[in-house]
Amino acid sequence: MTSGLSSPQLGRAAAAAAPFALALAIGALVLAATGHEPATVYRLMLEEAFGGERRIAATLTEATPLLLTGLAAAIAFRAGVFNVGAEGCFYLGGIVAAIAGYALPSWPGVALIPLALLSASLIGGAWLVAPGLLRAKLGVDEVVTTLMLNFIAIDLTSWLVDGPLLARGSANSATPQIVAAAELPRLLPPTTLNLGFVISLALVIAYGGWSRFSAGGFESRLVGLNPRFSRAVGIELPRVVLRAMIASGVVGGLAGGIHTLGLVHRFVAGFSPGYGFTGIAIALLARNSAVGVAVAAVLFGALSSAGANIQLFSDVPIEIVEILQGAVMIFAVAQLGFGRARLRAAT
Amino acid sequence: MSGEAGIGVRLGARDVTRRFGAVVANDRVSLSVAPGTIHAVVGGNGAGKSTLMRIMQGLDAPDAGTVILDDRSVRLSGPADAFARGVGMVHQEFTLAPPLSLIENLILGNEPVCAGDLIDWGKAEAEANRAAALAGVRIDWRLKAADAPIHVRQILEILRLLFRGADVLILDEPTAVLAPKQIEDLLKLMRRLKAEGRTIVFISHKLEEVMSIADAITVMRSGRVVATTTPARTSLSELARAMVGEAVETPRVEPQPRSANTPLFSARGLVGADAMGFERLGPVDLEVFPGEIVGVAGVGGNGQDELVACSAGLAAPVAGQIVVGGRDLTEASTASFRAAGVGYASPDRADEGLCLAASIRDNFVAGREREPKFSRFGVMRRSPIDAAASRALDLFSVRFDALADPAASLSGGNQQRLVLARELERDSRFLVAAQPTRGVDIAGTAFIHRMIAAFRDRGGAVLLVSESLDEILALSDRIVCLYNGKIVGEMPRGEASVGVLGQLMLGQRAA
Amino acid sequence: MINLFLHAALLTTTPILLAAIGGFVNRMGGLVNLGLESMMLAGALVGVEVSAATGSALLATFAAAAVGAIVALLMSLVVTRLRANEIIVGLGFTVAVAGLVRFILKSAYGASGTYNPPGVVMLPRLDVPPLESVPVLGALSGLDPLTWLAWALVPAVAFAIARTRWGLRLRATGAAEATVRSVGLQPLAIRDGSTVFAGALSGLAGAHLSIGIVGLFNEGITGGRGFIALAAFYFGRTSAARTAFGALLFGVFDAAQIRLQGRGVPSEIVQTLPYVIVIVVLTGLGFADRRAMRGRFF
Repeated sequence: MTSGLSSPQLGRAAAAAAPFALALAIGALVLAATGHEPATVYRLMLEEAFGGERRIAATLTEATPLLLTGLAAAIAFRAGVFNVGAEGCFYLGGIVAAIAGYALPSWPGVALIPLALLSASLIGGAWLVAPGLLRAKLGVDEVVTTLMLNFIAIDLTSWLVDGPLLARGSANSATPQIVAAAELPRLLPPTTLNLGFVISLALVIAYGGWSRFSAGGFESRLVGLNPRFSRAVGIELPRVVLRAMIASGVVGGLAGGIHTLGLVHRFVAGFSPGYGFTGIAIALLARNSAVGVAVAAVLFGALSSAGANIQLFSDVPIEIVEILQGAVMIFAVAQLGFGRARLRAAT
Repeated sequence: MSGEAGIGVRLGARDVTRRFGAVVANDRVSLSVAPGTIHAVVGGNGAGKSTLMRIMQGLDAPDAGTVILDDRSVRLSGPADAFARGVGMVHQEFTLAPPLSLIENLILGNEPVCAGDLIDWGKAEAEANRAAALAGVRIDWRLKAADAPIHVRQILEILRLLFRGADVLILDEPTAVLAPKQIEDLLKLMRRLKAEGRTIVFISHKLEEVMSIADAITVMRSGRVVATTTPARTSLSELARAMVGEAVETPRVEPQPRSANTPLFSARGLVGADAMGFERLGPVDLEVFPGEIVGVAGVGGNGQDELVACSAGLAAPVAGQIVVGGRDLTEASTASFRAAGVGYASPDRADEGLCLAASIRDNFVAGREREPKFSRFGVMRRSPIDAAASRALDLFSVRFDALADPAASLSGGNQQRLVLARELERDSRFLVAAQPTRGVDIAGTAFIHRMIAAFRDRGGAVLLVSESLDEILALSDRIVCLYNGKIVGEMPRGEASVGVLGQLMLGQRAA
Repeated sequence: MINLFLHAALLTTTPILLAAIGGFVNRMGGLVNLGLESMMLAGALVGVEVSAATGSALLATFAAAAVGAIVALLMSLVVTRLRANEIIVGLGFTVAVAGLVRFILKSAYGASGTYNPPGVVMLPRLDVPPLESVPVLGALSGLDPLTWLAWALVPAVAFAIARTRWGLRLRATGAAEATVRSVGLQPLAIRDGSTVFAGALSGLAGAHLSIGIVGLFNEGITGGRGFIALAAFYFGRTSAARTAFGALLFGVFDAAQIRLQGRGVPSEIVQTLPYVIVIVVLTGLGFADRRAMRGRFF
């Protein structure tokens, strides 16, 4: 990529910003229709998200799971694999890490944490082997299969946490607390920002390097851009597709593991308020780029964190965040006239 | 309906010009079809016939000139508009809905109804059978379109136009997919329709049919009309010559004797099918020796696509065997073919030969990213890649700004050179070149030919598949002719000529 | 005893069936609707509100269908005119509408999670006295009109799709858009129409949940039934009857697991059944497609 802002780069930036801008417009409509002042609300949200060290830390904490669910989606989408199953991997990774975290109380943290995170990653990857194979070998649409697996994973973990893994004496569905050694250390006490943020960011950066510099990243991008061409030059499509799917699952599982070890410290029902789906929106907005994922994750984290806070100061419900997230997803895939449609002309 | 006295031109074009970028698909084309006649439009691929038909049917609009209907200039707003004026077209790609039955496809959009919205099946079948009787065919109306044989589907397309009230029928290469007996039936149908007063425009490259059925013939080549005549006033060989063109403008490459006695590429009993499973090629035996260019002449649709796909390892053959460099690659993957030294210049440059959205550098190194000199431990090494790319692009005179620019920014000719640079700068031993100079100008074509010849001189084997006889005659050492999926002639270049090849290509005489 | 169970199963099936038929028709028209959940949710809320406000369950039903249709139209236009990926748009609508509904609940009604206005008029129950003591058939007594409607729709839709003009055009639109255009029709409009139909039925499904069963609105009232309906119409493929069977199957299992709760049968595991079935069906189809690829003309 050429350095400095060039026209195609500006075009790309505009294309990425447009869905966000449109979503903000829709949000403004909703706010106005319910008697709030959009400008005031948005300004308040901005302050709540970024005003001061504590608030920034809160934003980054909210962004932590999103960094990895966004990455999970990006890894898959980049190769043209429409994996919408990161949510399920998140749940599975979360519960597995929780189990490791409370079932091995005598282990030192330096061994326990890697074990827990590794298990979480592995379960996430394993969970998506089936849809990956179905797509790679039989051409079965991966959207529906991964979507179904989401619900299966959520129900499965629900059952586990309601029954066999239920913490004794716990009123709500939750596993026992993980031992202190398994907790990811805090970066900025008393905020809840933890090492998980650093790990996640590091992975996103690593993905950036992988996508730009590695042969695997290169092949993945070409497969996503033009599978027919890729096949003709000898790239093995089934392998690339399967790898993308499994890698996506691994990252999704890890995201859940970090969420358990870093923030929640146990697994509960309702473990994720849709981080996996938000991750999809993030990847779409970011057009699968590492920088984009990081920025979008922080933005959505800001939205979440601000939304949670302004609920305390105003009567704007936190759900404005969800509305914005949904709207971003919708507009991110609508052909708004930037970029994609142009290429059609070069036949 | 038609055939009224006084209308000279039921359907036509006057000075129609249409450009797509730098390519002039139609150059001041004029055509007049009298009512109640069968008018044939003849020409090879790239002649501009399809573009013209699309314009006359309202699917496209001319940049200059106009469509004529009933002696008047009209501007068509779309196929619905054309249809309202009685003009319908049967395309080469059938537009039937596969899961619907034949009768459902027939009546779609014009369903006879009773009691509101309910389809009156009795009436539908009666009318359908009437249409079928006209065509002289019996059709099992309940059959799903997906299960119906091709000639039945085609007849259905025609019947549907009639059912909807078209009196001008444009048929695009209708006999391309038919067996001889079915072709006879189709021609009979056309005569019957003409007797009814309908007007037929019939696109074909099969000159015998054209001579036997047309009232008037227009020959197109390279976007222009080169002849307008009638069967009485012309002959098969004249038509063939008009269609394929005269003097060779491309400078010829010196033919060479092959450099070894064992073939590098060998196909035995090769049978190939298209994406739908329809067998289009074979059985065919073909060998290409190192240091030799074998040119495959033929009009598009006679099995070339399947031959190319099997030879380059993109599709598995239905039957037969492929051996490259002594290795049996019949069941092998595309990657294995590439590893065995097979290079492929795709006829579809934009979608298969290149990834237009990716950079020039990416397009060059695609498929080679894991070669030891281009990557270490999975990390791609920018300098060696750039050096190799720059050198190759220089060798192939590709004009570009920066390696990071998208391939889409290159001109067509430069894009093609990029493809060849990639395919020939690998350790390729066998190049499958399909339409290597499509959309490339004369100078660029000459250059590409020189590059392919240089590859041959280094000991490479080339399978050249081209619809341009010029190109075949300019480059090949040995020429084979493909017709209806079989090889109908084989000769060294010295024995070949436009006339000889033209007739073989059009199925006119055995070698 | 069995009557009670069947009765409950039928009631549980109704919303799934309504949405599934809608989704089935939508898919025949060429759009896989992942937003059924959102239309159901909207319908549930509007149903409760209108019922309480007007005292008329009938008006509430119409209103629910209308709001479902509106959401569906919006979604369809984004997919057909802005050429957006229908999966992401469907998911996006699910997220956005869920947020919007909870937002409205808090903003307009000051309610958090549950909205229970006074004066909600429920759907009437239709008793069939002669049947009440008959085993099995007795379950048919005391059902609401929407349940009867749902089941009446199954043969009606199957018939309409096979034997009417619009059914034919719908099928053609889903199978071959170019074909439909070539005969001068508007495939995108037909597709939008099928989405609106799906939305209306899903709205009714939502109304059934709120004013048919529980009498209030809760933010979790749909409980993923939009996706279970998706499972049903994926299972049903091209057959309305099979779709209905799938919906009934899932409804029966749902009713069963409620009853078996606490008796050692994990309800959540049972709840995964629809999704597992979809995956199994898709896998089977994948294998079948691969074998059928040889020797096919199309």
